[in-house]
Amino acid sequence: MESEAKKSSGKHKWRKVAYGGMQPGYDDNYTDDSFLEGMVMNANVVKRDLFKVMLDSVSISQYLCIAALVVIVWIQTLHSVIDEISLLSLDAGLLGLGFLIILLTTSQLSFHLFLHYLMKISFFISGLYILAPVYHTLTRSISSDSIWALSVSLLLIHLFLHDFSGYTIRPPGAKNNPTLASNISLNASIIASVLIASRLPSRLHVFALMLFSLQVFLFAPLVTFCIKKYSFWLHLWFSFILMSMTLSIIFVMHRMLFVLLLALIVFISIVCPYWLIQIQEYKFEINGPWDEAKLCFEITE
Amino acid sequence: MDGPQRHRILMVSDFFYPNFGGVESHIYYLSQCLIKLGHKVVVTTHAYGNRSGVRYMTGGLKVYYIPWRPFLMQNTLPTFYGTLPIIRTILIRERISVVHGHQAFSTLCHEALMHARTMGYKAVFTDHSLYRFADVGSIHMNKVLQFTLADIDQAICVSHTSKENTVLRSGIDPEKVFVIPNAVDTAMFTPAPKRLCYDEIVIVVISRLVYRKGADLLVEVIPEVCRLNPNVRFVIGGDGLKRVRLEEMREKYSLQDRVEMLGAVPHAQVRSVLVSGHIFLNSSLTEAFCIAILEAASCGLLTVSTRVGGVPEVLPDDMIVLAEPTPVDMTRAIKEAIEMLPNINPQAMHDRVKKLYSWQDVAKRTEVVYDRALLCSDVSLLQRLPRYLKCGPWAGKLFCLVMMINFLLWQLLQFWQPSKSIEEVPDILILENEDNEICGKLRMP
Repeated sequence: MESEAKKSSGKHKWRKVAYGGMQPGYDDNYTDDSFLEGMVMNANVVKRDLFKVMLDSVSISQYLCIAALVVIVWIQTLHSVIDEISLLSLDAGLLGLGFLIILLTTSQLSFHLFLHYLMKISFFISGLYILAPVYHTLTRSISSDSIWALSVSLLLIHLFLHDFSGYTIRPPGAKNNPTLASNISLNASIIASVLIASRLPSRLHVFALMLFSLQVFLFAPLVTFCIKKYSFWLHLWFSFILMSMTLSIIFVMHRMLFVLLLALIVFISIVCPYWLIQIQEYKFEINGPWDEAKLCFEITE
Repeated sequence: MDGPQRHRILMVSDFFYPNFGGVESHIYYLSQCLIKLGHKVVVTTHAYGNRSGVRYMTGGLKVYYIPWRPFLMQNTLPTFYGTLPIIRTILIRERISVVHGHQAFSTLCHEALMHARTMGYKAVFTDHSLYRFADVGSIHMNKVLQFTLADIDQAICVSHTSKENTVLRSGIDPEKVFVIPNAVDTAMFTPAPKRLCYDEIVIVVISRLVYRKGADLLVEVIPEVCRLNPNVRFVIGGDGLKRVRLEEMREKYSLQDRVEMLGAVPHAQVRSVLVSGHIFLNSSLTEAFCIAILEAASCGLLTVSTRVGGVPEVLPDDMIVLAEPTPVDMTRAIKEAIEMLPNINPQAMHDRVKKLYSWQDVAKRTEVVYDRALLCSDVSLLQRLPRYLKCGPWAGKLFCLVMMINFLLWQLLQFWQPSKSIEEVPDILILENEDNEICGKLRMP
């Protein structure tokens, strides 16, 4: 009797250990109350605000309009509505505007750096001028249908993989490396420009259009990033003006495409943020003692 | 009382001899101890190079090396239904009662368990590793695991942390999961006959030198420890991608005479490397259950390890010093271990490990799992299908479809190659008679 009482009061307490064989009084499949007590759920999840997400989605609509403007210029050039002289003046104007914006918004541009940029740009333009004859005859043997299909697919790849938060072409001294996806998107846009430019009648056309497309695809992300960093209100105004300009040009050209672009912008700006917030509640991030440890230092090769 | 039930177990995994590793040695030692307890064990794995067909190992352990080539990291190509004929033949020939699959990463294991459940055999699964939740590979593997564990009879995990991880990944009922740890062959890992002197402290590291095993932590810790303790020497055994970084560290801090790199150490020589040291250092970033620590403790070394996964459960507090996986804390832990060293008696530590862990104990506890699995009722296909529907709105229906096709293929096979035409193998018992001679006795079914 006494020994029985002793046994029940001296019952071995279950411990979360693996040594010592089976713990007396407990089966191997015993699940203690402390099971899963080290689990942490949704530790790093940020609660999003609808209005802020909508404001952030403006970057995406803005870039979409820039891409649409480039495509409009391509179409107009291919239909010979825009001649090469106006294209060249457009290029020069865009170049000057871009430089002005970067100068005004970045405070630390020294004269030496400015000369460095100027030299790089002149190398780029002369290289392009020398290579224009090559691009002119590049796709002569390929049918037009393949060219249009390829360009459309490449542009779609470019838009899907584009890095909307940063810029792929880094000014000297930038720290983070661009990701693989943003490099692929940039390459896709360059190939699309080359393909379209090769359909033009003369070498000067090719040079002018290539310069225009490359200017926009390579440097527009940098310019928009500088504007956004300088002042968020300026960024919003700039996007708004850009969007209205694009929509009005397309309205004049083609009704259906206008409706399509408008619907797309509404979808990106209003429907997608709402949808994102709705499905955030399903997020289930699990952390616990079973996680792989993260190193607290950088691995320098 | 009838006496203990004799089970006929089929162990299935992609990982077995001639490969060396945790899963491989677990299957081998567990099978040997189960045979000693009187059960029949057959192992099935894929062909390794020329090693294909049926082989016999110690104690009459029969191994089927089925003629499928591995395609990625020792895994067979997953064909869903391609292994059905051969697994069915093996199950009927050997008159198996329980199918025991090992390691979630092994495709052969998942396929064999799927076929076993279709044909009505009892299935048990052992999970040996911890996995993540959030990246693409882990999400797919967890889905496959959910499929296998939706209709399993019992599951085994090697530590309590591993049980929590498996339950979260697969959604299985925790009451179905047994925690049976690994063990160590203490007869093979004995301490040095003569105690080493403490003038020079030797720290041993034996692991694959890869990111997952914390080789980058070693690169940060070793120079600091060598700087703070002039009488410490390191011996590093093992090879891998990070070996270059360790060699560079050696050059940079001029530690050639204090850090010795042995390269890959064959399994048979691990003990001789271990007994040359006082302290064993394990810097893994994730471990479900670290057998290396047990081997070191069995050889009488004091262990310093990172506090990750199931490592805190492996040894009592006086045989291991735990540290956070940061260089600062690990240096502190090594210093603490060096101070504890004079109080450590290697032979006493070895005897303690002998009492705390043994493969015979693991086999007895696994026997309980098999008994429990056989008590589960037989269910027909229609009763099993709702278990798969729980896996998800789309996945559930897909899994049901997979199982239905498997069932139909099995019926086709039964018609084409009836069970009666498959010859059953007689049991061969390896017995010792009074003169301690080993003789074989044929037992007809």
